[in-house]
Amino acid sequence: MSAGSAHARHLAEAGRLANEIRLSVEQVSYAYSANPAQAPLFTLEATSLQARPGEIVAILGPNASGKSTLLHLISGALAPLSGRVLLNGFVTQSLTPRTRAQRIAVVQQESALLFPARAWEFVLQGRHSHRRSLRFESEDDVLIAKNALAQVGAADLSDRWMNQISGGEKQRVILARALAQQPLLLLLDEPTLHLDIAAQIGLLDALRRLAAENRYTVVVVTHELNLAAEYADQVVLMQRGRCLRVGPPASIYQRELLEQVFQTPLSVELGSSGRPRVTVLSGT
Amino acid sequence: MRPLTLRRLFLQCSILVLILFVVVVIAVKFGAVPVSLYALGRDLWHVLLGQRADLSSDYVLIIKNIRLPRILLGIIVGASLSVAGTSFQALLRNPLADPYVLGVSMGASLGSILALIAEPHLSISPALASLLTPLGAFLGAGATIAAVYFLGRREGQIDSATLLLGGVIISSFLSAIIMFLMNTLSGNLRGLSFWLMGDLSTPLQKSAYWFLGIGFLLAAGAIYTTAADLNLLLSGEKEAMHLGVDVPRVRLVVYIAASLLTGLAVSVSGAIGYVGLIVPHAIRFIFGSDHRTLLPTAALGGAIALVFADTLARTIVAPTEVSVGAVTALVGAPLFIYLLRRRLS
Amino acid sequence: MKEFARLRPRSAVSAATVALLSCAALTCAQSAPPVSSASPAFREVTDEVGRTVRVPQPVRRIVSLAPSLTETVYALGLQDRLVGDTDYCDYPADARKKTKVGGAINPSLEQIVALHPDLVLATKGLNRLETVHSLDGLGISSYATDPHTVEEIITSSKKLSDVLGVPEAGASVAGEMQRRLADLQQRVGSLAAKRVLFVVWTQPLISVGKDTFIADALRHAGAVSIVDSEQGWPQVSLEEVARLQPEFLVFADSHSDSAFPAVEMLATLPGWSILDAVSNRRFAVISDAVNRPAPRIVTAIEDLAKQLHPDAFVEKPENGKEKMEKENPPPDQPPSWHYSSSPDALQDRLTTPGGRACAH
Repeated sequence: MSAGSAHARHLAEAGRLANEIRLSVEQVSYAYSANPAQAPLFTLEATSLQARPGEIVAILGPNASGKSTLLHLISGALAPLSGRVLLNGFVTQSLTPRTRAQRIAVVQQESALLFPARAWEFVLQGRHSHRRSLRFESEDDVLIAKNALAQVGAADLSDRWMNQISGGEKQRVILARALAQQPLLLLLDEPTLHLDIAAQIGLLDALRRLAAENRYTVVVVTHELNLAAEYADQVVLMQRGRCLRVGPPASIYQRELLEQVFQTPLSVELGSSGRPRVTVLSGT
Repeated sequence: MRPLTLRRLFLQCSILVLILFVVVVIAVKFGAVPVSLYALGRDLWHVLLGQRADLSSDYVLIIKNIRLPRILLGIIVGASLSVAGTSFQALLRNPLADPYVLGVSMGASLGSILALIAEPHLSISPALASLLTPLGAFLGAGATIAAVYFLGRREGQIDSATLLLGGVIISSFLSAIIMFLMNTLSGNLRGLSFWLMGDLSTPLQKSAYWFLGIGFLLAAGAIYTTAADLNLLLSGEKEAMHLGVDVPRVRLVVYIAASLLTGLAVSVSGAIGYVGLIVPHAIRFIFGSDHRTLLPTAALGGAIALVFADTLARTIVAPTEVSVGAVTALVGAPLFIYLLRRRLS
Repeated sequence: MKEFARLRPRSAVSAATVALLSCAALTCAQSAPPVSSASPAFREVTDEVGRTVRVPQPVRRIVSLAPSLTETVYALGLQDRLVGDTDYCDYPADARKKTKVGGAINPSLEQIVALHPDLVLATKGLNRLETVHSLDGLGISSYATDPHTVEEIITSSKKLSDVLGVPEAGASVAGEMQRRLADLQQRVGSLAAKRVLFVVWTQPLISVGKDTFIADALRHAGAVSIVDSEQGWPQVSLEEVARLQPEFLVFADSHSDSAFPAVEMLATLPGWSILDAVSNRRFAVISDAVNRPAPRIVTAIEDLAKQLHPDAFVEKPENGKEKMEKENPPPDQPPSWHYSSSPDALQDRLTTPGGRACAH
């Protein structure tokens, strides 16, 4: 099976359901408590959202609002207390880790490597879920990895050691590994946290392009108001474990709402691109 | 981009098999009694041609019945400890982990001793009785690695420093128990030096070698099926899971198999240290960290190292024998310190 | 290219199968037991740990794995047949010249095999069971002794002499030992046994258990060990010893001459001065033959008896000559110290009837 046909299969599966709901989060809730006898330390109340292929969803909110918890529930790393997460109609929790990894890719902020590895080795790890055990990498795997690096503009980093490249370059290689998984769903947890402004823009531009080209559904957790406004098709606004509102940026970015959530005076205007822009006002 | 292929694995293993062969020849030649390789080769040749029934009686006794079994034991034990060390290093994400440092070898020793103490009081067939010691060793090893693992967990993550400290403490605690038992109880418990420092000099029953060999192949084979998963585990359990690794299953398989390997090795040769620590590092340095080649090459490397160490142990002050654990510690501990410093700097 | 890649696993599997089969073939070849070129005559005896031993007849080449067994072999006059002994076999002096096979705990199997022994001698108190089993596996017969009392040492030597084919020498040695012990019994048997602590090691303080031949040797010398323990080499606390207040401290030293200053130093160790025996300098030093279950132990027992019960060895004054000697001791008396010089000199002096070893 060549790289092309595997990808085509994905596209066909995706295309069949193009413009149909790919990700459906139905009333998922979660509670975490250090001591089971006591009341939970943190709760995520029932939350729902839906996303289509090619869409970018931003989970937006201040710290400790439950954004990462929601992302981990979507990724399958956590099992919800109630409700379920469906991907193309399959309950993600019931899939094996291997099958899940073929459909869902998670991009962490950092990747701690115990022993030094080259970038191409790192990206090849993404092919693990598609490979049967005891098999070595096939030519298809190598091709897909190469393509992934090219797609994030990191083809020249291929032979570099992971511990010798900059933060932004590393972020791109981590993204390439996720792309090598050929997922339907791409999840990113605060990807812009350690990046400078140029890298942030570059990353989100790439995400938008990839979502459009490869029909990924992208879910990004962030607290950056303007980036979310600029790039997201949908925004999920969270505060203290509750989802306040879901919708396109234009409908979410109301000044009173945002001020209440972020606890700081703001002003919201319409930007030149037609998307809302938020300015933080200094206290008087 | 040069991904791993079967051909490269084959090549790496062939080189090491060659080195192992050379080391075995050295081990056959050297010892308390001088052996002429030429005479040995000539006799072997005559045997092959059918001109003789067997080697000259001297060589039969010394080489076939004493040195070769000892070399074979060294190969199996060295390979077992090396694979166990590689597995623990991957699972615990700590390059300084090995059965001895983590106290697992001591746990296996204690388990064997308890089995030997209990054996006369149990009414079981002799065949089952001979399995009792490896079983005790396996249970001791498994219990110890579980204890060390839980000691090293903080907030769901494994903390390296706590892990190593926990291992050191457990190791000294267990060896204190062993010394107490040795002091207060009599009986066929073998010497203290055997359990705490290792000893390859006692020839075993023929069936024991088969048992060891098959046990090694099964356990090492089980670990090898998770080799690709182990590569990913090095990035962290969460990341590995996101990339498709069934972390709980891999953990269980590798822990049980590595405990089995340690238990088997310790039950027949006592606690030999540093083989599982230094050999994987040396192999990684030469051949890389991909576990699909690391596991088999580390096994071969462990065999080479232990046979060599044992040959040193029995020739340095011949005819007196130094314990093989003393030789591995003399070489291994300084290397361990060097690794520790490099890691912390 | 793909077909070629698929061929590789198959060839690897077949290579592995071939390797496994050859290993199997090798093992089968090994299973034939080694044929020894010894004489066909054998004698089956049971040794002192209950093993059945096939002893080649005659026994021409002996390897001893314990100093006591080496001494016994010499005592039986078989030193020419002794082809190998341990690093620690140092008595008599000729034993040091024999080929060494290593220590008693972990002798070199190869070295033993290379000497082609007919019989290997071992003892349960010193050698390991694994060594004996390994020798069995190599087709070499080994005979193990296990004496726990002085009588057992005598019978053990007699049995050994029988196994080695020199029963007359054994009877003679055993007879001599019994005679001397009977003489000792006559002299000190009716006296109150001195309560002693036999000191094996000082730091930590280690003594002997009640089941050992050393404890029994003490009894023959008219003493009793104050340590009552099941273990062979129990570690005892100084307070316990102080509570029991032994009358004498007994030390065994291979170089009895040089033991004097060492034992003197003991008096200066902290805590030891609470023992009456230390403050009164009631030490007895005998040769380390007491540690070896061999004929020479009788000499050490006699020596100890003389130091503990010197009155029993003084002849009854018959005439004035004796009385005068007692009041005016000859100038060449040994120093006022319960001690004798080298064991051999002592042996000479003791076998001379009426000889006196020490003066009070």
